[in-house]
Amino acid sequence: MTQVTLSGLTKIFDEKSPPAVDQLNLEIESGKLTALLGPSGCGKTTTMKMIAGLLRPTSGDITFNGESILSIPPEDRGAVMVFQNYLLFPYMTIAENIGFGLKMRKVDRKEIRTRVTDMLDLVQLPGFEDRKPRQLSGGQQQRIALARALIVQPNVLLLDEPLSNLDAHLRDEMRELIRRIQTEMAITTVFVTHDQEEAVVLADRIALLFDGRLQQFDVPDAFFESPQSVEIAKFFGGTNFIPGHYEGGEITTAIGRFRAPRSAVDGGDAVLSIRPEAVTLGSDGGNSVMGRIRSHVYVGRYARFRVALGDIEVEAITDPAQVKLFNDGDEVPVRFDSNKIWVIGPASSQP
Amino acid sequence: MKWPEPVSRTRRLSRTSLSEKAAQRLTIALLLTPAILVILLLFMGGLITGFLRSLGYFPLIGLNDFNFAAYTTIFTDNGFIRSFILTFHIAFTSTLIASILAVASAMLLRPAFRGKRFVQFIFSLNLTIPHLVGAVGVLYLFSGSGLVSRLATGAGLIDSPAGFPAMVNDPWAIGIIIQYVWKEIPFIGVIVLAILLSVGEDYESVARSLGANRWQAFRNVTLPLIMPGVVSASVIVFAFTFGAFEIPWLLGSTFPKALPVLAFESYTDVDLAARPQAMAMAMVIAVMSSLMILAYMKVSRRYVRS
Ligand SMILES: Nc1ncnc2c1ncn2[C@@H]1O[C@H](COP(=O)(O)OP(=O)(O)OP(=O)(O)O)[C@@H](O)[C@H]1O
Ligand SMILES: [Mg+2]
Repeated sequence: MTQVTLSGLTKIFDEKSPPAVDQLNLEIESGKLTALLGPSGCGKTTTMKMIAGLLRPTSGDITFNGESILSIPPEDRGAVMVFQNYLLFPYMTIAENIGFGLKMRKVDRKEIRTRVTDMLDLVQLPGFEDRKPRQLSGGQQQRIALARALIVQPNVLLLDEPLSNLDAHLRDEMRELIRRIQTEMAITTVFVTHDQEEAVVLADRIALLFDGRLQQFDVPDAFFESPQSVEIAKFFGGTNFIPGHYEGGEITTAIGRFRAPRSAVDGGDAVLSIRPEAVTLGSDGGNSVMGRIRSHVYVGRYARFRVALGDIEVEAITDPAQVKLFNDGDEVPVRFDSNKIWVIGPASSQP
Repeated sequence: MKWPEPVSRTRRLSRTSLSEKAAQRLTIALLLTPAILVILLLFMGGLITGFLRSLGYFPLIGLNDFNFAAYTTIFTDNGFIRSFILTFHIAFTSTLIASILAVASAMLLRPAFRGKRFVQFIFSLNLTIPHLVGAVGVLYLFSGSGLVSRLATGAGLIDSPAGFPAMVNDPWAIGIIIQYVWKEIPFIGVIVLAILLSVGEDYESVARSLGANRWQAFRNVTLPLIMPGVVSASVIVFAFTFGAFEIPWLLGSTFPKALPVLAFESYTDVDLAARPQAMAMAMVIAVMSSLMILAYMKVSRRYVRS
């Protein structure tokens, strides 16, 4: 069981560009699965390499169970990283690849062989021992890379987008597998992804990174229910943001006043955010305003409407049956459930 | 020419593409013919002529029979055998030392550092310097009256320049080897460096992360990745140093002489009867170079696999 703490972790590759990782503070819980989520280039891989000891931080500290590990070489950290592009050793067989870590530890050959076989069973590629990496598909290589890491029973497992090359079906299976192994072996795992859905499905906690800076570190549902900024809400699929003034549990906007008990700020200029799934059409009462349907799309599992409320347009995701009830151009009451409204501080940058 | 009615579209397509392929191949062959002819005339012509003369067939000077006399002579000649061993020693030792030092330099030159471009420029500079200049340098530095010898005397390491170990025209061919190593390190090194930079450091990172220390990562990951490049470059170096004439001629001992020198001297001998022997030696150099290269490649391949 290893608890990993990053404090003020910073990496500057060159002085002229902004830091790749900027003052990152993170408590990665022991035995849990933490997702490092963020758009491409936000510093996820860089952070992982620093934890693994493959890159030296410019400043800041990394501790395992409270002890700084910055002076410990990568091979002695017990943190194994699985790379984004798998990097199987091309001139070795699959068995030699998987057994590599054990060979470095001078484990007996026979034992290596049996453990390699076990690993191949675990990642559901039995009988692949004698193949060469180039004879495998991307998804198969990814699973071999995972097996090669797991075989050394790391204290900390660092997975850099390990599922990016799998098809939907295999991805679900591998998610289950990673989750199962992770819980069984109770390995502290950091999992990099740029797919918010994957992070939500897999992680105990998500650390969201933009431009090398930590935006929010929370349990998955918090990113939907209480994102700390408009950018975060947008990254998690939020679409409706209405600027206004917040005071005494109510937010006053250009299209009306809404009750909003839940908020990230105490008062002042703020933004009303409501997820498209929480916007209901055709029911009036408290917290509702009249709108005009602009357009709609029938997606199958749900329907998506765009509704004009004065100068503001909001998106509503509804039961697919509603496409039969409303036509484009109809006037409909639009209700924002007060418990689903989340008031965020004013947007720092409006794209 | 009329094709039979096509059975299906695909069949017709494949037929067309087949004939097109044949035509393409013919075009390529025709385009290559001049180059192939030149190679055949120069290389094979030279080799065949040389081979015939080594068998004693040289009508111009009245030698019309085929015999193995030249070969019998050289193979029973102790001097020839010694020359052969010396030449092998020069080629093998220079290639081995140059390869090791080249890999080490390439590893040192790989990471980014201040002034790297300048260092790299200096490193590859002597690729442009002729071997002859290098030989003069070796003479100037390492001969009995050379700079190193005089410095060593000045520093009191040896009593007089005469006490300096023979490194030029010496039986161990140290001067020759120094010159070859100096000249070939950048040749192999530049190739290895290019491979190292294109492969990147991620494979080593994986190895380190999986528990390999620096040396293990180098031995098990870096080396196998660069080995094909090292082998190809050093095979060229081996073949060159086995057959090259000028450096052993300048820096070599009077006995034994390196094979190319021996062959050259036999060839230019006033006694025309020595010519078949010169040609036989040249044939031996050619065959041995080829054999060595084959063996060397086999050994290196096995090394890569393990
Ligand atoms: N070795 C390096 N030298 C210079 N800059 C680098 C280096 N490695 C990464 N960077 C820069 O640091 C930033 C973060 O890179 P990083 O690889 O950590 O992103 P990432 O979040 O993993 O992205 P992705 O999702 O695309 O893999 C990028 O702007 C990148 O250009
Ligand atoms: Mg990355």
